[in-house]
Amino acid sequence: MDHPQTQMIRRKFADSQVILIDHYKEVFNRPAQSFAAQSHSKKLILARKEGTFLHEGSQYSDGFDYQQFFYASSIMGCLYDCDYCYLQGLYPSANTVLFVNIEDAFEQLRPYLGKDTLVATSYDTDTLAIESLTHQTSMWLDFADQYENLYLEIRTKSANIKSLKSITLNPRVTLAWTLSPQEIINAYEHATPSLEKRLGAVVEAITLGWKVRLCIDPVIYTEKFAILYTELIEQVFRTIDPEAIEHLTLGSFRMSQSHLRSLKKLRRSDVAFYPYVVRDEMATYSEAIETHILETLLAKATQYLPKERIRTWQRQS
Amino acid sequence: MIYLITALDAEARPLCEYYRLKRDTSLPYTLYRNEEIVLVVSGMGRTNALMAVSALLGWRIPEEKDILINIGICGAPSEYRIGEALLIHQILDGDRRYYPDILYSHSLRETSMRCVDVPQSVLSDYPVDMESSPIFQAASRFFKLHQMAFLKIVSDHCTPELVTKEGVIELLRSHVNSLDTLISRLSAVQKQPPLFSTDERNTIEVFKTHFTKSQGSAIDDALTYFRLRNKGEFPPLNPLIPNSKRERSQLLEELIATLTA
Ligand code: SF4
Repeated sequence: MDHPQTQMIRRKFADSQVILIDHYKEVFNRPAQSFAAQSHSKKLILARKEGTFLHEGSQYSDGFDYQQFFYASSIMGCLYDCDYCYLQGLYPSANTVLFVNIEDAFEQLRPYLGKDTLVATSYDTDTLAIESLTHQTSMWLDFADQYENLYLEIRTKSANIKSLKSITLNPRVTLAWTLSPQEIINAYEHATPSLEKRLGAVVEAITLGWKVRLCIDPVIYTEKFAILYTELIEQVFRTIDPEAIEHLTLGSFRMSQSHLRSLKKLRRSDVAFYPYVVRDEMATYSEAIETHILETLLAKATQYLPKERIRTWQRQS
Repeated sequence: MIYLITALDAEARPLCEYYRLKRDTSLPYTLYRNEEIVLVVSGMGRTNALMAVSALLGWRIPEEKDILINIGICGAPSEYRIGEALLIHQILDGDRRYYPDILYSHSLRETSMRCVDVPQSVLSDYPVDMESSPIFQAASRFFKLHQMAFLKIVSDHCTPELVTKEGVIELLRSHVNSLDTLISRLSAVQKQPPLFSTDERNTIEVFKTHFTKSQGSAIDDALTYFRLRNKGEFPPLNPLIPNSKRERSQLLEELIATLTA
């Protein structure tokens, strides 16, 4: 209750109902919650994290060959509500838990910073989406400023980059925007900014001098996939100078089998019910479709970028 | 169905009048009902509440669209006005805590509540009642947390000896509108309508009998995909089912490919 971040956030929600709880799990982990119903009325749970904030990067994501790759988890849950998000399978609740003691994450990270280390600060949430509330991204950027071996990746769908304007540029920080065709955003990425707004934020970040990566990942395969995604790439590079971006990441939808099972139980979206191929506990499109997706997108993307600057995710066979 | 739980007959009476509930003798509890509402009078205290709610919900198992409201009087510290209606967001019972999910907007005062074993004559930090915790515990086996609500009306400032039957009837009568609004808010919280009509479900189940269990789930998944993508009527599921296993698998593969194309 006394933590400065708790107080700051409570001031912003002066008119809200406050319920005192002993431990976030009391509310977040309750049985009989409805993720789907809660998605329309998300609550914010402020808590102090007791364990580690840092987790090793997983096989589902790209560690960019740094000596060490962690993701930091100071938020459980997300303001946005994407149908394909594995958080729905990971968490029993659609509410958001914000761990206010971010300073402990920095302490936990310090011993590793003798080597080049990549930390994804927005790995299983979208930290920038609630930056105006938490200021945690700014705190990460201030921290990263002090450590030459620390590289940050801040992945987002947000269009709000106000907080970056007052921060000294750091070439070791990459802002990674996830982009999808507007039709896919409308269908599957609820409560997220439009493609146009995201592209506007990308342009602004580039103009400010930030390093930017674009991610067309996860690609959702539908009958209109080829048209939607090739048009997306055209639209992106009509708006953004290809020379100004670090990488373009391409990857098709993938999810662990157990998360997919939980997603099915929610019965919220068709994404969960596609006949994926499950191998080694991982559900993906069939090899033929995955290859078709990558080839189609690569053919388009290489019209704008050299292949070396395009990263792809494909199941290792 | 709307399940209402009161502890006292006096709490039930104005609700029975307002909703025109008729006595029902299906259970060894005081039970009233109409087409949409069933109300049980549990009797006071933990054990009575636990048993009555378990009996009621076991007798008529709730469906996805059903809701449950515990309505009744409570004692409260003096900062709560006598006659004030409270919506409970946290039930404290010893070192246990329970949280109904309030996912709708409302104009009631929200508060925590202590569930105690005997009527309280000493002021507590929060309003007190004697049934909310066991009702929550029994009901949460049948309902999701957002389908339950606890609506309490302050009857006294921990002077239970001053509470009369007539007073209780009057307090509840003055809040039937609050209950009415709560019912409509609670009922409106997002519900997933069934994806398939009863006829469609029956056809699917018959069709699945020709396949193995895992093929059956694949059929379910593909049909769900098809329906969630709003592709309209699904293709007829009554082709001639081949006898050979291989041909059946091929038929299934083709069907799934059509549904998920
Ligand atoms: S923005 Fe990312 S973390 Fe948030 S809901 Fe969407 S996929 Fe999940």
